[in-house]
Amino acid sequence: MATLRPVTLAKSRIVPLSEPWASLTPGGGLRRGSTVVVHAQPGLGGLSVALSLLSEASAKGHWAAVVGVDDPGVVAMSDLGVDLRRVLFVPRPRGAWAEAAADLLDGVDLLIVRPPSRPSHGAARKLMDRVRERGTVLIALTEPSAPWPLPVDLSFHLTSSRWIMSSRLDARYVTLRVGGRGEAARRGEHVVMVPDAQGRAVAR
Amino acid sequence: MERLLALWAESLGEERPDGSTLRDYLRILDVVGVLCPFVEPVRLGLCTLPLRGPSRFFGGDEAVFAAVRHSVRDVLGLEVSLGVAEGLFCAELAARQEVVLALGQTTAFRRAQPLMALGHKELTTTGRRLGIYTVGDFADLDAARVAERFSAAVRVLHRVARGELPELPGQRDTRLAARLHGARGEDVVGDEQAGFFGQRTAGDDRAHAAAHRVRHRLGPEGVLVARLRGGRVPEDRATLTPWGSPSREVRDDAPWPGRLAGPSPITSLHQPVAVELRDDTDEPVRMGARGSLSAAPTSLVLLRGSRRGIVWVAGPWPLVERWWASERRRAHVQVLLDSGEAMLLAAEGGRWWLVGIYD
Repeated sequence: MATLRPVTLAKSRIVPLSEPWASLTPGGGLRRGSTVVVHAQPGLGGLSVALSLLSEASAKGHWAAVVGVDDPGVVAMSDLGVDLRRVLFVPRPRGAWAEAAADLLDGVDLLIVRPPSRPSHGAARKLMDRVRERGTVLIALTEPSAPWPLPVDLSFHLTSSRWIMSSRLDARYVTLRVGGRGEAARRGEHVVMVPDAQGRAVAR
Repeated sequence: MERLLALWAESLGEERPDGSTLRDYLRILDVVGVLCPFVEPVRLGLCTLPLRGPSRFFGGDEAVFAAVRHSVRDVLGLEVSLGVAEGLFCAELAARQEVVLALGQTTAFRRAQPLMALGHKELTTTGRRLGIYTVGDFADLDAARVAERFSAAVRVLHRVARGELPELPGQRDTRLAARLHGARGEDVVGDEQAGFFGQRTAGDDRAHAAAHRVRHRLGPEGVLVARLRGGRVPEDRATLTPWGSPSREVRDDAPWPGRLAGPSPITSLHQPVAVELRDDTDEPVRMGARGSLSAAPTSLVLLRGSRRGIVWVAGPWPLVERWWASERRRAHVQVLLDSGEAMLLAAEGGRWWLVGIYD
């Protein structure tokens, strides 16, 4: 124990986030081994929020994988700041989403999973245990018809979203409630603009 | 994408009845596995490994070849053929012909192969009648023409010929992993070999190994990687290609006049879904020849039958471009539904298509 260096250790135990997400989370990043839920009605911004969480980490050299997102908008992801060279996509895992996710856990630092159907208690538990063991960060993108069945470390619940229009769609305000067990820093409601006119995520 | 070293042991290609083939093959995997942990069994007689890591570790491609040859010869007394190319299809051909291709040479190599290399008798015969003798000739055929004339199986081969798929269907023995597992009584792929080729790219190697595992589970199109290229609208600019297929690195820095402004949809349908727009009298809304809508759309009908109210429309933004020889006309509109969802639609060929969702 005496040989552990707490400072470096603490640093490497966090996968970095960009703003506006860093200031909404304890330690300004995602703790390795933790599970995060992004919960939203389909079509109201959940996917943008979840993928945006990859931007800083991928730019800093961390690998990420996206399981169960059928048709990822690669241009939009690039606009969000995601470095696509370090993202693996498993768009249609069919019945094998949990197995594919488990295969990827050893190889990436961030894993986004959109379960195609309501995840079972057992499958969720197994995945979360494995994530804790491997020091990966699991981001589950869920919707009201298929919620994540277990309590998680950090959650973003999208409560409403509103588009700003001119002669086209310009930007969207997304209101989200931050929660989770333990020391989740900035609980409560926050408004984030995602995407803004350039396709980025910014604090209002 | 990555250069694969393929190792072909001809004498193990045909299985002998005494079970020695599987045992010898297993020994090859073990021997090579000591040199590179990411060796992947393909089928009896054939295995591959990504060359980049070992090459850096051993100090060059030649050093890796020498190490592989020596250890297989020492342990098994076997001579093996080695070849290097991008993607399994070309890697196997390269091994059989003992060719080592540098990065970027795979396309020319693939195109020069005889049509027979795709392993489809009927295609080879028909091709000969049509004056198509090489994989390259076949690749140059228009995909729509191939779809009209040939079966689904040939359409897949066409994608292999074009380099869109890294390997032939059936090139891998899907039961091999289970057989090896049984023969050995344990896991075939070793875990946790991170850092083997040095700290700096341990993360990359780990990610590649994970991608290998998923591809094994889900098939050659199970894992995709994204590339951006030039284009005016998001569905043209994004490409998702199977992980492990040869990269055709296209820079996205050329200016594209007329690019659709504003944020892009975070869901970009690779197969657009046919939809209908209706006005308040339930008549279909059409794109006029002058680039305007025949009426203001008030509802969106998905062809599955569900109907959604439209609260706001922007566009149309017409787009005319030369697509191969014929002119391609499209127009895009954005719609905001009463549920709060925003979508990107395209009009083309007298129909409306859902091409993107701003989730």
